[in-house]
Amino acid sequence: MNRKPRRSFRQRLSEVLESLPFLAPLLVFLVILYGMLGWTLYVSMANWVGTAPNYEFAGLKWYQMMFRLDRFRVDMNNNVKWLAIGVLPTVALALFLAYMLEIGSVKRIEGYVRTLILYPVAMSFVVTGTIWSWMYQPDKGVLNTILRAVGLSELAGRYTTNPATATYWLILIFVWQYLGFAVIILQSSFRTTELQEMVEAAIVDGASKLRILFSVIVPNIRGGILILVSLLLISALKVFDIVYVVTFGGPGYSTDVLALFMFIATFQQHLVALGAGLGMIIFLMALVIVIPYTIYAFRKWFE
Amino acid sequence: MKRVVLPVLLLLVLSLVLSACGPAQTPTAPPPVVTVVREQVVVTATPAPEPKKLEIFHWWTAGGEREAADAMFKAFKDKVPDVEIVENPVAGGGGVSHRVVLQARLSAGLPPDTWQTLGGAELKSYVDGGFLEPLDDLWAELNYAAVIPGPLAKAVTINGHPYVVPLNMHIQNILYYNKALFDELGLQPPTNYDELIAVAEAIKAAKPEMSPLALGTKEKWEAAFVFDSILLEVGGPAHYVQVYKGEVDVKNDPAYKEALQKLEALVPYIYPYHAGLTWDESCGLVVSGDAAMVLMGTWAIGYFQSRGWTPGKEFSAVTFPQKPERILLFHPDTYGLAKGAPHPQTTMEWLKVVASPELQIPTDVTQGGLFARIDIDPANFPDPIRQELQTYVRNNPDKLILDQHGSIAPFSFTQAYWDVIAAFIAQPNVDGTLSSVADLLTTYNVKAEAAWYQWP
Repeated sequence: MNRKPRRSFRQRLSEVLESLPFLAPLLVFLVILYGMLGWTLYVSMANWVGTAPNYEFAGLKWYQMMFRLDRFRVDMNNNVKWLAIGVLPTVALALFLAYMLEIGSVKRIEGYVRTLILYPVAMSFVVTGTIWSWMYQPDKGVLNTILRAVGLSELAGRYTTNPATATYWLILIFVWQYLGFAVIILQSSFRTTELQEMVEAAIVDGASKLRILFSVIVPNIRGGILILVSLLLISALKVFDIVYVVTFGGPGYSTDVLALFMFIATFQQHLVALGAGLGMIIFLMALVIVIPYTIYAFRKWFE
Repeated sequence: MKRVVLPVLLLLVLSLVLSACGPAQTPTAPPPVVTVVREQVVVTATPAPEPKKLEIFHWWTAGGEREAADAMFKAFKDKVPDVEIVENPVAGGGGVSHRVVLQARLSAGLPPDTWQTLGGAELKSYVDGGFLEPLDDLWAELNYAAVIPGPLAKAVTINGHPYVVPLNMHIQNILYYNKALFDELGLQPPTNYDELIAVAEAIKAAKPEMSPLALGTKEKWEAAFVFDSILLEVGGPAHYVQVYKGEVDVKNDPAYKEALQKLEALVPYIYPYHAGLTWDESCGLVVSGDAAMVLMGTWAIGYFQSRGWTPGKEFSAVTFPQKPERILLFHPDTYGLAKGAPHPQTTMEWLKVVASPELQIPTDVTQGGLFARIDIDPANFPDPIRQELQTYVRNNPDKLILDQHGSIAPFSFTQAYWDVIAAFIAQPNVDGTLSSVADLLTTYNVKAEAAWYQWP
């Protein structure tokens, strides 16, 4: 007989109690996050219109309506633009900036430059959004005023008041704001002893500075890049404040994004169920984009 | 070690259990219900000494409006000196954030005693949610329907019951203009679309740097204001009401199409960067000399005054259009009694004060609207613009129709509709807009949802 010795009730209780502090965060996480998620999913299939909660089941009615709306199509387009144009240029720019700060002549003023480009991160989107919207102002804003002063008035643009290009000008604010943060993350991953030694070895071998960046540094800071890209992807996906402050989705709804439409549907149109449905779409996009990426990232990492 | 860990663990478990029970207990636990019943019995036997307290939600927090709110509460305190007023003002013009907070409170079953709401669709959403008590008795006692315009009473009457007490009326379709400029160029304020185009043409010829018509469409509703004025002239008042009640096949409606085409023809005269401006910034263009006219509601009077402009001197105003018929598009600010209000008696006293000239005169003069009561002397207004408007309403109480803010159609439609019209002004596309509007009307079920509105 291979029976384990029976433990007393007291023993078992104390074991459960001892594991609780480690389980508790998980439980709180599960209940709050997945509970709310499930509830949102249910609300999106209920008939909640107006101020009073209504949990009567309505099936996929709101999703069908959502897919018919032109606004939803515009939102999806814009969200994809944010993901693509908001993330890749930020990473590329940050890589070059970080590298420039690490090498050669800029090294002496590195501390100042780094502080300077890190400042935008410390400000909230509401503040930077307001400042940028002043700068973008086509007739009195600083950008066009400077262009006109130096005789380049044909370059003076309509910025966020042109429905065709407004979203790109919003994304520029995002890139500017996250650049400093991206530089810091990349810089910190430069500074491992291993990598420093490899770079020194490459210098001794006579590799050019660009060659060092692409052949030595980039392959060895994969972890930093992966973390940065996933953080930026998530920030770009949930973007709300820049759009809310600078254009409020306008002109018309040409710069609208899913998160803003979710807010408008819930609190202005009083279509709570539709708002919940849009929330689910954002969640699904996060799954579709972030999860395969994370899996890929981790595989690469632990290869 | 273990001795320290165990009590901490127990505390943790306890807090977990408590936090898990917390939200679930409130709706189902029987004891509170019992106490409520007991309280009700007390109320019917001898009137319970209710604390003289009024919890109120409003959005008058900006400059000019804050003073109006103070005037309102002063009038109440004059009548009921020992009352304690608990304000929950939420900053933000038009009450966007106010509605977010209020919606959460109402959904949680914790209503304030009374809150500011517009008449029309917004009011209807509260009534449909079952959050307001009907006020038939109060209206009968005050004989309120006899002293306010008929269309105003209808705008706050849902399914045959009045639910709120309106304290003012804002008029949407007013054309403000730079008086000095009009005098200089020898222009008369336009009374219809053709005159507007002619005036705009004249201004553009004389001052090429200036936009004839200012506009800010950041909040979108401003765009619908311009379109409404044109639609009102092209189709007439009955057609206007039918459109927003969803009774017109917009896609094949010649009047609606003509109104859109006329708006398209007006676009070259509109300030081109309107998408980035809010309504006050668009009025600011007139003050700074970047634009000559702006279509805005009565609340713009206060804005112009705050910039140092005197009505009748630097700027003046006409309702637009005046031909073929002079109709005023309006919405009221109102207060009602919450179902389950913590202090119903004080709230009823408050509503009586809201209905009185003692509150309406100081509040409306400060805030910018017209008096809801037409038995108040228009001479109480300091500016000639509102004196004239109030006199017109007094003599023609039937020439009022609910506007974009009051909204005949449900909010779900109206909000989406503003976006479409704002997009149209940014990039005109008549056929696309016709089918978008027709889609919105069916998607948001306007015909059924707006059936409550009766006009004339």
